[in-house]
Amino acid sequence: MSALPSYLLLIRWNALRMKGFLPLAIVVQALFAFGIVVGYPLLFPELDPRTVLFLATGAPAITLITMGLVATPQMVAQARTEGSYEYMRSLPVPRILHLLADLTVWLVIVLPGVAFAILLGTWRFSLDLQVSPLIIPALGLTSLTAASIGYAIASVLPPMAANMMSQVLVVFVLMFSPLNFPPDRLPGWLTGIHAVLPVQAMGEVLRGTLAPASFPLPAGAFLLLGAWALGSFGVAWRVMERRG
Amino acid sequence: MLLEIDDLAKAYRKGARANDGISLSVAAGEVYGLLGHNGAGKTTMVNQVVGLLRPDAGTITIDGRDVIADPGFARRACSIQPQATLPINGLTPNQAVEMIGRLRGGRADDVRRRRDGLFEALDIGEWARTDGARLSGGVRRLVGFAMAAVAPGRLIILDEPTNDVDPVRRRLLWTQVRALGDEGAAVLLVTHNVVEAERAVDRLAILDHGRVIATGTPAQLKERVADDLRLELVLEPGAALPELPPFVLRDVGSGQRHLATVAASAAAAAVGWAEAAKLDGTFEEYRLGPATLEDVYVELVGRPDALSNGNDAPASDPATGLEDARVRAA
Repeated sequence: MSALPSYLLLIRWNALRMKGFLPLAIVVQALFAFGIVVGYPLLFPELDPRTVLFLATGAPAITLITMGLVATPQMVAQARTEGSYEYMRSLPVPRILHLLADLTVWLVIVLPGVAFAILLGTWRFSLDLQVSPLIIPALGLTSLTAASIGYAIASVLPPMAANMMSQVLVVFVLMFSPLNFPPDRLPGWLTGIHAVLPVQAMGEVLRGTLAPASFPLPAGAFLLLGAWALGSFGVAWRVMERRG
Repeated sequence: MLLEIDDLAKAYRKGARANDGISLSVAAGEVYGLLGHNGAGKTTMVNQVVGLLRPDAGTITIDGRDVIADPGFARRACSIQPQATLPINGLTPNQAVEMIGRLRGGRADDVRRRRDGLFEALDIGEWARTDGARLSGGVRRLVGFAMAAVAPGRLIILDEPTNDVDPVRRRLLWTQVRALGDEGAAVLLVTHNVVEAERAVDRLAILDHGRVIATGTPAQLKERVADDLRLELVLEPGAALPELPPFVLRDVGSGQRHLATVAASAAAAAVGWAEAAKLDGTFEEYRLGPATLEDVYVELVGRPDALSNGNDAPASDPATGLEDARVRAA
């Protein structure tokens, strides 16, 4: 069977397998967005316009990143534990198609939650965002990178370790990443780390496209994300092709 | 021979030799049983055939082609029912079997026709449109078989296909396994269920600690115990096992159920002894019959726990394992 029909069949397989997960994914993302847009402002005595913009653009970024880094490894780890990862690998289908189909379904699953996060932020703070059309590649690349990294983590680490690693990453993304606040508030050593990790770049491309009037859109961030997406995709693919 | 395995060896990182010089061959049209206890190396061998694991040494060819060098060919040539039942939550059996058939390269209408035929033959049509999450373990296992059989490769590997399946549908399943062979495929049947395998396979190999310790047809293997009879004993609740007479060559099992081997020449003595013990309330029942493949297996492998799946019975309790295997075989 040629590649395209196989890819479409795998998408259908994954979509049906994960349809029960979709409402849960939306609820979890909505709660994240609610926590950031409604909960975080309680930390500030008063909200200046810049803080508001960081919260409104940080909410979709955090929902997207945590879903990719947390839910993806958990689902891959589960597939490995229950044997479906191996079973799918035993089918006469190029293995890269499994990976592409998984990521495609993933992109679609996270979309409603992200849309909700954007709408909630603009409504709560009465913002009038002049969203750039570049939001589409920014969302796509952010989601793809986060999910690929999650996939790679779950491919390389044993299932238990992958699940723990994903929890650690949530804390890192929520607390120590410049998504809801400007990078200049980070201590110097963490600034250096974030210069090479993809999380800050994810925040930058989403901020720069959601509120282009207020934030720059550095091309370097797109490049860094592209490199992370390719690298982690390559790792996940390589593990999928490997014979133990 | 369609599948040829020669001197296959595989050790895991911890140093355990999972496969230690395995050689066997399976012809097209043949149902070949691979018997062995948990950890005997059966699944490791299968995973090397389908290219999920790389052997340390040895060769595997399918239809003369080296599948260690070309694992993609192995995936096209083999269809597999894995030991772990595949979860199909969110999919109906109809959808799951059809999609796997098409991913295996079958044409949509051929796949549907064959799927419907398999569901009817296995008597699971009533669940064809039920979500996989609501299926019983046995039905899911049968759906897993249909996924392997709907667009079969030339080699079909079935890993414990009858686990969890009810006795009536087991028979239907064995008929379909046989049909796959009759249609020309080579079937490699991995199982620990010796009694069922005896009726279903053309030839078999017994694996122990990663080595093939016997091969042949069931009849050839049973020649080893042609002079033996098996005496099954069930103690009355609370009764202790009396001292076994000298004509009992072996006894496995514990608790209430025992499986003794006696020489054929001692048949009359054995019945007399067992009947007397039944009359005095020691045995609830007993059965004397010809030795089976199970007895060969126990003799060869030397441990009654070899009959059980390690998931069901702790290795420290051999009797449970034996009983378990017999209950399943019933």
